[in-house]
Parts: sequence; structure tokens; C-alpha cells
Amino acid sequence: MAAFAAILRKDLRLELRSGESTVALLAISLLILVVMVFALDASRARGAESAAGALWVALVFSGMLGATRALLAERDNNCIRGLLLSPIEPSTLYAAKLAAAFIFMAIAEIGSVILMVLFFNLNFDITLIRLAPILALGTLGFAALATLLAAISNRTRMGDLLLPILAVPIFVPALIAGVKASASALGGTPESAIAEWLKILIAFDVLFVTAGYLLFEYVVRED
Amino acid sequence: MAAPVVETHELGKTYGQHHVLRDLDLRLLPGRAIFIVGANGAGKSTLLRILAGLSAPTAGRALIFGLDSRRLGPRYRRRIGMLAHQSYLYPNLTARENLEFCAELYAISDPRGSAARWLERVGLERFAERRVRALSRGMEQRLAAARAMIADPGLLLLDEPFASLDSEAVQIIMSLIREAVARGASLVASAHVVPEVQDLEFEVFDLARATLTRRPPTRDSADAGRIARLRSLLGR
Repeated sequence: MAAFAAILRKDLRLELRSGESTVALLAISLLILVVMVFALDASRARGAESAAGALWVALVFSGMLGATRALLAERDNNCIRGLLLSPIEPSTLYAAKLAAAFIFMAIAEIGSVILMVLFFNLNFDITLIRLAPILALGTLGFAALATLLAAISNRTRMGDLLLPILAVPIFVPALIAGVKASASALGGTPESAIAEWLKILIAFDVLFVTAGYLLFEYVVRED
Repeated sequence: MAAPVVETHELGKTYGQHHVLRDLDLRLLPGRAIFIVGANGAGKSTLLRILAGLSAPTAGRALIFGLDSRRLGPRYRRRIGMLAHQSYLYPNLTARENLEFCAELYAISDPRGSAARWLERVGLERFAERRVRALSRGMEQRLAAARAMIADPGLLLLDEPFASLDSEAVQIIMSLIREAVARGASLVASAHVVPEVQDLEFEVFDLARATLTRRPPTRDSADAGRIARLRSLLGR
């Protein structure tokens, strides 16, 4: 637990010092939401479904950046080897990197939600609170998946290209569930209708957090 | 007789068709030191990475503290200190923050105090709050040496520890090596040429064409060993 806290604290300190990830994540979310507002038909662009779709597209792209950044810090001076040599379990390293990616993404999402409300002419009301657990589950699932895949892609020459090619198709079930649940939450649909979609998100989270926890050791190790 | 700290049996490593290491047999007892000497690309770094458990051999095996190098758990990894070409230091953290972080990973009590002590030992106390990216190559190497030794490891793996360093940095790192070996740590270090480390008894192995050959001890190195033993007996 102490090692987990030390790695997470170090990642947050590096991020606070540079601000690179958070600024980049917010910028990409802003760009995606602006493009979506202009790309969608004006009348439809005001709908909850369009807003939810745009928000999740922003989440996916910012998530890829967030997960990559959390592991990129270890590329400098080959610090990842220093961590692998230290007396910590690789699963602890995975948990710390997942937590860092989750925090970076969550900060970007708070900004994205505010922009979504403004751009899609929604209200700052109770519906946004209903959105919170859906986004939290989606963020956790995507961060878990992207952190595992970023560890693989970081070791390849085509890494930056490999991550979206691998991550997006795998995330599709959670993406559909997240968009539907978010649209329902923004549209005022009863909780029972959202619960079905939330189950898919929870299942996805359990699957990929467990997979990352168990497999991270094998993907970060050298041949 | 004490169990060897490092023991390799017909150790080999190939990348594709290229043999980097072939049939290496090595045995290192506690408190002993060896230097692996070889040209660039001879496989010195690969061998050290295998001994550290960072890379897997493709043939044979390496036992570290009696355990297969690929199965070293946290308890055993804690006893290994490595100084590599790359410093494993975060450029955007300060010298103090890097050592504190390392001390926390190694569960050292009082990480702050430990970091301060090691900064002093490597002569960097005035640069404690300077970020690593703003340190010179020599300062960074001294800090990396402190990082490698902060947990008082039983096995030191040093990859060309004196490369591109000024004489002050060389003396500091030599002094740390001597102290570590004197307290019983074992050392495997690599170099291009046999280094002149005073007061340290060590064996030299040549690594060329993927094979390791023990160099016969010279009179100088034997003398150095006798002097070192005499000094330790006299309490210095």
C-alpha cells in the first residue's frame, strides 16, 4: 500500500509540475465537443443522445492520452526498469498507474461535462449527478483497459498507433452501454432503465481491472 | 562455505540468430567483486540485466541468492542494487525527491532522512532541490549510485559505473563501492578496460565473442587485495 501511494503521489507530483496531461486532455475534449456540435444537425445537437455521444467520444480520446501519459513518465531514463527492479509487485505498479490515469481522465471529464452542458444547451441540474456513476464506471473501465494496452504499445515502435487500434474495438460494448446510460440519465429516464446498462459497465470494469492486475507483469517485463 | 550470491550455468542469450552470450558459467561468493571487461556490444549490459532479473536468458539459468533470476520476488529484489547506463531517475523530480521516492519503494524507515544522508555521501547536498534534468552527467551518475545503494543491497550490479565521469565523481563512486564490498556486499561491474580501484580485491573476466574468460590475477590486483584485507583487519 505504501508503494502504491508513493508511485501515485510521484505521478501526481510530476503532473502538477508539468500540467502536460491535464491540459492536453482538456484541450482534446474541448476540440471533440466543438467538432461534434458543428457536425451534428442543429436541432438534433440539442438532444440528450447527441450530448451523451459527444461526451463519450471525448472520454475515449482523452482516456487514450491519459493512460499513455501515465506510463510515458516511466520512459524517461528507463525509470520503468528501476520500478521493476524495486521490491514491489507489478500488480501494485499497475494499480498505481490505473489510479493515475483515472484521476487524469476524471479531471478532463469534469471539464468536458461543463462544456457539454454549455454547448448542447443543457441545464446544470440533478441529471448531472445521475451521470456521475456512469462516467465513473466508464472511466475506470477505459483506464483499466488503456493502461494495460499502453504498457504493450509503449514497447513497440508503432505504439502510438497501436493503442487506439486495440483499445477502441475492445471498449465498444462499454461504449454502447455508457452512451445509452448517459442519454437515459440526461433524458430523465427512470433509474431502472439505466441499471441494465450499468451492469454491463460494472462487468467490463471487473473484467479489465482483473485482467490488468493479473497480466501487467507479463506485458511490462522484457524478453 | 557460504552459498554463492550469483551462480550461472551455461547461461546464454540470443537475439534472433545473434548469440550475445553463450555457455557462461560464473560464480560469485558474498563479499567478492568481479569486473566484466569487454568492448561495446560485447553483451556486458545484457548479462547484468539477466542477473538483475530484468531480462530472461534464452539458455541455461542464473541463480541469484540461490533463486532463479526470473523468479526473484520482492524480498530478493530488495537485495539487488543496480546502476545502469540510464539513471532510472525522474528528470522532473529533484535529487531529494528521487531518493525519497526510491526509499519509499524500498520501505526504508525515514525516507527523508535516508535521502538526506545519501545526498551528503555523494556530495550533492547543495543540489538537493535541483531537478535531475538540470544536473550534470557526473552529478546524475552520483545520484544514480546513491539510488542503487540506498537500501544497502547484498548484490551490486554496476554497468560501466565510471564511464564519462570526472575524477571527483569517480572517487566518490569508488569509495561507495569499497564501503559496500567491505560490509559484505558482492559486486558485478562492467567496464571497457580494467579500472584502477585502489584497496579493492577483484577478479577480472573478459567478455568477447559471447564467451566469458577469467583473466589470471595480476600482481597488482593481488597486492590490492592483501592491502584491503590488512586495512580491514586494522579497523580502517
